[in-house]
Formats: sequence, C-alpha cells, structure tokens
Amino acid sequence: MTVRPLWVGLAAALALAVLPLVANPYLLFVGNQLSIFVILAVGLNLLVGYCGQLAFAHAALFGIGAYGTALLKVHLGVPFAVSLPCGALLATAVGLAISLPALRLSGLYLSLATLAFAQFTLWVFLHWEPVTFGAGGFRVPAPSWPIPGVTAGIGTFYLALALAVLLTLAAASLVRSRLGRAMIAVRDGEVAAQALGVDLLRTKAMAFGLSAFYAGVAGGLQALMLGYVAPESFDLFHMALMKAMIVVGGLGSIAGSVVGAGAVLFLLEGLRAFKGAQEIAFGALLMGAVILAPRGLAGLLDRLPGWQERYLRAAPAERAPAAAVPREAPP
Amino acid sequence: MLSYLLLSGLTTGSIYALVALGIVLVYKATGTINFAHGDQLMIAGFLAFTLHVLLGLPYLVALAGAVAGSFALGAVAAQVGFRAVLRTSLVNVVLATLGLAFVLKGFARLTWGGISDYLSFPPLVRPEPILIGDMVLLPQQLVVTAGALAVMGLFALFFRLTTIGKAMQATADNPRAARLVGIRVERIHLLAFAVGAAIAGAGATLMAPLTLLYPDIGFMLFIKGFAAAVLGGLTSLPGALVGGIAIGVVEALAAGYIHSSFLEVSAFVAIMATLVLRPRGLMGGPPPRRA
Amino acid sequence: MTPRLAVEGIGLAFGGVAALRGVGMAVAPGEIRGIIGPNGAGKTTLLNVICGIIPPGEGRVLLDGQDITGLSPSRIAARGVRRTFQTTALFRGLTVLENVATGLHTETRAGLLDGVLGSRRLREEEREAAERARQALDFVGMAACADRPAHALSFGQQRLVEIARALVAEPRVVLMDEPAVGLSLNRLADIDRLLRRIRDERGVTLLLIEHVIRLVMEVSDSITVLGSGAVIAEGPPAAVREDPAVVAAYLGTAVHA
Repeated sequence: MTVRPLWVGLAAALALAVLPLVANPYLLFVGNQLSIFVILAVGLNLLVGYCGQLAFAHAALFGIGAYGTALLKVHLGVPFAVSLPCGALLATAVGLAISLPALRLSGLYLSLATLAFAQFTLWVFLHWEPVTFGAGGFRVPAPSWPIPGVTAGIGTFYLALALAVLLTLAAASLVRSRLGRAMIAVRDGEVAAQALGVDLLRTKAMAFGLSAFYAGVAGGLQALMLGYVAPESFDLFHMALMKAMIVVGGLGSIAGSVVGAGAVLFLLEGLRAFKGAQEIAFGALLMGAVILAPRGLAGLLDRLPGWQERYLRAAPAERAPAAAVPREAPP
Repeated sequence: MLSYLLLSGLTTGSIYALVALGIVLVYKATGTINFAHGDQLMIAGFLAFTLHVLLGLPYLVALAGAVAGSFALGAVAAQVGFRAVLRTSLVNVVLATLGLAFVLKGFARLTWGGISDYLSFPPLVRPEPILIGDMVLLPQQLVVTAGALAVMGLFALFFRLTTIGKAMQATADNPRAARLVGIRVERIHLLAFAVGAAIAGAGATLMAPLTLLYPDIGFMLFIKGFAAAVLGGLTSLPGALVGGIAIGVVEALAAGYIHSSFLEVSAFVAIMATLVLRPRGLMGGPPPRRA
Repeated sequence: MTPRLAVEGIGLAFGGVAALRGVGMAVAPGEIRGIIGPNGAGKTTLLNVICGIIPPGEGRVLLDGQDITGLSPSRIAARGVRRTFQTTALFRGLTVLENVATGLHTETRAGLLDGVLGSRRLREEEREAAERARQALDFVGMAACADRPAHALSFGQQRLVEIARALVAEPRVVLMDEPAVGLSLNRLADIDRLLRRIRDERGVTLLLIEHVIRLVMEVSDSITVLGSGAVIAEGPPAAVREDPAVVAAYLGTAVHA
C-alpha cells in the first residue's frame, strides 16, 4: 500500500467539489476560503520555502490582486473574466518590480525592504481614496456565470477550487524540474549554485514573479468571494497568517502548503470572534512549529509509505522494479 | 515652523534610536534580528501603565518595573524560544521571533485592550509649551529626548566598562575567539536578548507620556527601529542614533510640509529608496559573520 | 598550442591590501596543475577570480584563447569551468542524485512552462539528466547512495559527490579547492587515482589547490607556487621541490603532510 501525494490531493479536491451539494452557506464559504488559502500558501512556499527568500510582501501582493480585480470592475466595468487575470498580472508585475532592487539585498535587508513595501501598499489602499475608497473598503458586484442555474457563490467556489488544483499541480511539477532544483540550490548555497551555472537573478526573479502571481490570483478570487474589499484584509496579521501556513505545513513542501493552509483556516474560523486570541494562537503556532517541528506537518507526511514529493530518481520506475534498486547504502 | 518640526522629529527620532539600539545589540551578539522587539517594548509600556496609572506607583518605580519586567521577558523568550533556533537558520529565527511578536500583541489586546482602544499616560511635567524667541518647546519632548540620550549614554558606558559589556563586544567581534578565551557564547546571546528588551522597557516608559499606548504600536515601532538600525549600518550604536533621528526628522518634515497622512508612509519610502541606492544602509559595511 | 586555461597579469586588492599581484600562468589541455603556497598566499582567491565569483582588479582570464574575464559565474560555468569547494557545498535539501543533476542546469533547456505543465521535453530531459547524473556518481563510486539525502552522507562521501557534480556536465576545466582535506591517509591513494582518472578517462584539465604536499607532488604534471599573492615558482614537481625560493617561502616553514 503506497500513499501518493497526487491521489490524496485529488481525493481531497473531489471531496471539496461535492460540498456545495450538501453544505450550508457558511461551510461553502469556508471551503471557498480553503481553495484561496491553498493558492496563497503554495505561492509563498515557492519563494520562502524553496528559494529561501525572506520576503514579507505576500499579503500586500494578495491585496494588489484583490484591488486590481475589483477596481477594474467597479471603475471601468471590466468583466471579471478579464479583470481577474489582469489583477493577477498586476500583482506579478509589481512582484517582479520589487524583486529587481530586492535581488541585490540579502537576508535581513530584503525582509526590511519588503516589510516597508507592504506598509507602503497598505497606506496606498488606505489613503488613495478617490480610487481605493479608503479605510472603509468598497463593495464588489457579484459575478454572473453564463451557465444557467449557477449562482454567483457556487460559480466562484468552483472557479477557486479549479484554480487551486491547477496551480498546486503546476507548482508540484515545477519544483521537481530543473528550475525547482535551481531554486533549492539558491536557497542552500548561492555561491555553489552560481558555480554550477545557475543564474541567481533569473532564479530569484522567477520565484518572486511566480509567488506574486499566485498571490494575485488568490486576491482576485477573494474579492469575488467576499463581494467586498477593504485594507484590513491585507495587513501584517495576514502576512503572519500566511507565514504560519507554510511553517506549520512545512517549508519547501507543496503538500505541506496545502495541509498548512487547511490547519490555519480551521484555527482561524474556530477563533473567529477573538482577535487577540487569534493573534496568540497564530503567533504560538508559528513559534512552536519553528522550534519544535521545523519540518512542519510535511515531516509527518513523509513517513507515509510510498509518499514522495519531489525526488528525481536514479532509475525510472518503468525500467527497473523498485526492489532491484539499492535505495540505501548498507551501513 | 521648521524649528518646531525639527524638534519634534528629534524627539520621535530619539525614541526610534532607542528601539534601534536594542535591535543593533541583539544583531551584534547573535547575527539575527528580533522581530518581537517592538512588541516587547509595547508590553513594557502597558506594564508601566499598570504600575503608574492603575496602581498609582511613582513614575520612577514604574520605569524600574518596566525595565525589570522587560529584561525577564526577554531572558525567558530567549531561553525557551530562540536558543533552539539560533543554531539553525536566519529564516527560522525571524519566523520564531515574528511568532512571539504576535503572541505578545494578542496578549496585550486581551489584557489591556478591554479598557480602551488607546490608553493615555499622564504627562510627567507641566504640558504648557515654553517659548524661546520664536521657538516653541514642549517640556515633555525635552524630557523624552534627554531620557533617551541618557539611556544610550549609560548603555555605551556599560559596553565599555563592565566585564559583561566587554564580553558581549568580544562575542560580537569574533564568536569563535570569544569561545576560545572562555566566554560562554550562549549566555551572551541570552543576555543580549534580555538587555535589548530592557532597553525597550526604558524606551516604552519614556515615550508613553508622549504617545498613546495600543497593541499595534509595537510592530510599527519595530519597523522604524529596524529601519533606523539598517540606515546606521546595523552594527553601529552611533549609527543607530543617527538613523533613528534621520527617520524621525523625515517623518516630521513630510507631515509638516506635505500632508499629515504622509507621516507614516514617508519613513517606508525613505527606507525603500535607501536600500535601492545603498543596499547595506547609509553607513553599512560588510555584514558580520554568523557564529 | 593555445593553453586550455590562461591567466594574465591578475591583480586584486581588498581595501588597499594586495591579495593577488600580477599572477600569470598557462595550463595545457589535459594537464593536472597543482597550486601550492602558504596560507593567505591567494590560492582560493585565484580560483574565485577564474570562476567569476570575484572580478579581478586587473588582468585577463582566457579559456581556450577566449576572454572570459568579467563574465558572471553562471556564464563561466556554462562555458565549461566547474569547481569544488574547500568546505563541502552540497545542497542539503536535495538528494545526492538531484545534487549532481543540478550540475546539468546549463545543459538543459526546459523553461517555466515546461516546468509547470510537466511537458514531454521536460520529462525527456529529466530522464536523461537522471541517467547522466547516475553515471557521474558511478564514476566516483557513489552510485549506491544516489537516492539518499545529501546531508545524510559522511564528509568524505560528500566530497566525492561534489566531484561528480563538477564533472557531470563534461567540463573543460575543473578547479578543485583542497579535495583531500579531512580525508584519512588510505583515502589519499583513492583521491590520487580518481584525479588521474578524471584527466585520463574524461579529458578534463585540473587545477588543484592542495595542502597535502605528498598528493600534489605525485599527481601534478606541473606546479605553480604562490607566495603573498604572486607567483614565486613554476615547473615540474621535482624542480619546484628543489627551488630555493620555494624552500625559503614555503616548504621550510609549512610542510606537515
């Protein structure tokens, strides 16, 4: 009996897909939020977990995706089919733009620059009132789906689910490729990576751009789902929330990102009424995971028989039966 | 107008410098940044508020209590939390301290948040402004600035004159050599977190009469202090002072000459611009090697 | 004949202190060139200049007559100059095989779209990369460890994997920074044999920094001696050993091997 990440993930997605048939509106909202959190966590893990870049701009890029998508609709009447991709591309462009100077910065300097960028973005959301409507936020009209009988909420639910599945599969494939290995190489040793022909700038810019794209898609979906956009959804607390997802799930693990997004959502909803308690819970979760379980929930998943997230293997399975390949050198 | 702005910038700047001082101290000793530094300061502020306003104890007792409480909190956090991750990676330390920051913030919200959203601290000296020529001075600002400078001066003396201070300096300069001459580096790390937090405690009690107290003030002050430390090169104590005052003055000028809403954002724009032009800060040299 | 690798008049100063002063040498194809010298003589700095990690203040680096001075390290790696490091530099988060496959980064072309779609090109390249990486591991005798995480290997095993990683893309030149450091005496004979096989079977030109004098004297075709950032002697091992300047500057003070 082997447990493959792909099967488990698809089974979970299938289970989520039948949710609208049985669930009440609240559960539907939670299911929808789960898809969005998964996209956020997978995107952030590419940058922080795989490429090792200590960036704090993810909540702000999430916000740029949400504002971009919603404002194009509200101000210019652009349909969501166009404004959602535009919002995601805007977040990508901004992510790439901040990555250019950020690439020269290392470690702590990068974290400060991205923190300052995140605060700057929040300030723009709050104070550019003619465009962003300021602190109170604004309502976004519900999307209409061309399929008869599909309500706005159900349509958004399935769109988010489909995008979450596709983007997770894409990331899982990417991290197994040469580009994924290049990101890990940059994380584990910049000088050695360069000496093997890995271009630091291109690899980091790719990680920044991809991660911003994921955040932007998630932001657009969030605006569609809530029908409402306000600055407070993209503040430092949400940045810490996203960090908690990938740390609890496991840095450098796609399956971990998915599980971590679920765990954080569960806790967030459980403590919905108490902001102070939420902060304590997520802070403690973040600190506890780093100290006690640095590999996160992914460390547990790795113990399942046959669970393999990433390895490029010496002998492809179709050519040699697994038993004939010496997996471990004798001690 | 200009002199008033400069003075108020100087006052805020000296607070930022004090925040930066604690950050620089921890960085010099451990090579990492304590993201919970601002929230430790915020907790110390609430502690001083409890002692001085709620329990009616004299201001100086509140100051001592806040410093001692902060020192203990810093020591416990370092011992229980950060010690284990210091050996692993920078990312882990930052994430662990970020976690602590939010725990403290939530704790403050649950404990003191119920009283009112923003707590005010009574003024230390009479609030009437003093006029010297056409300069307007608030006595409270002078007290805060003088107090911040005094804490920094004391700290400089501590570094120069005491055995512990010298050991900390030696550890920062060369951890391996420090270990060889018998300095217990782990204890120095612990001490750096604790002393850094104690400085934050003094800073919180000093600034509390000038500003309002609220749970979110901690992380805001942390970012400003972090920026001040980076502007000053991250390893230099005088650099932290200059960096803090630079940010305070930039904020005051932006608020005075452009619009009050630019007060917050001007610092962030200044930080980003500086890092684009000078990736290691205005006075930055190469980073120290990690232990 | 054009030398495989030549450096001409390399000078470099760190904050006013000269680290390299007018260093020049020419290495023929298929040669094993030893570089020795006391600590601080500039040996590792010279390797860093050759592979582009530190741009030189003055002078040129030529690969088969082509100027590669000032190219980025990744460009220079793509031209076929690879290296190993003094302290092992395997990527901890990758398996042994994946580490070696990273050495093929410049040989493979799959882009972002191939990566996210899992395209046919990607799969073919990956299969080929795995095969070539396995062969390189086989060459250094580490094929049995291919699927283990890199951090689980012993120090000596990590060094061998690093050599496989430097060889996998069939480079023209490999720069090795103290491959024998930390190895026991009976492993030294293995390293000696491995270095010769790298030259003879794979046609690689080797630049070898080594403190173990016995190894470097035996395996090198010729030796360059650095002292205080300048070349103080060059020639076949036997001649260098007798050179009075070398004896004075180096052998007399620092031979412990």
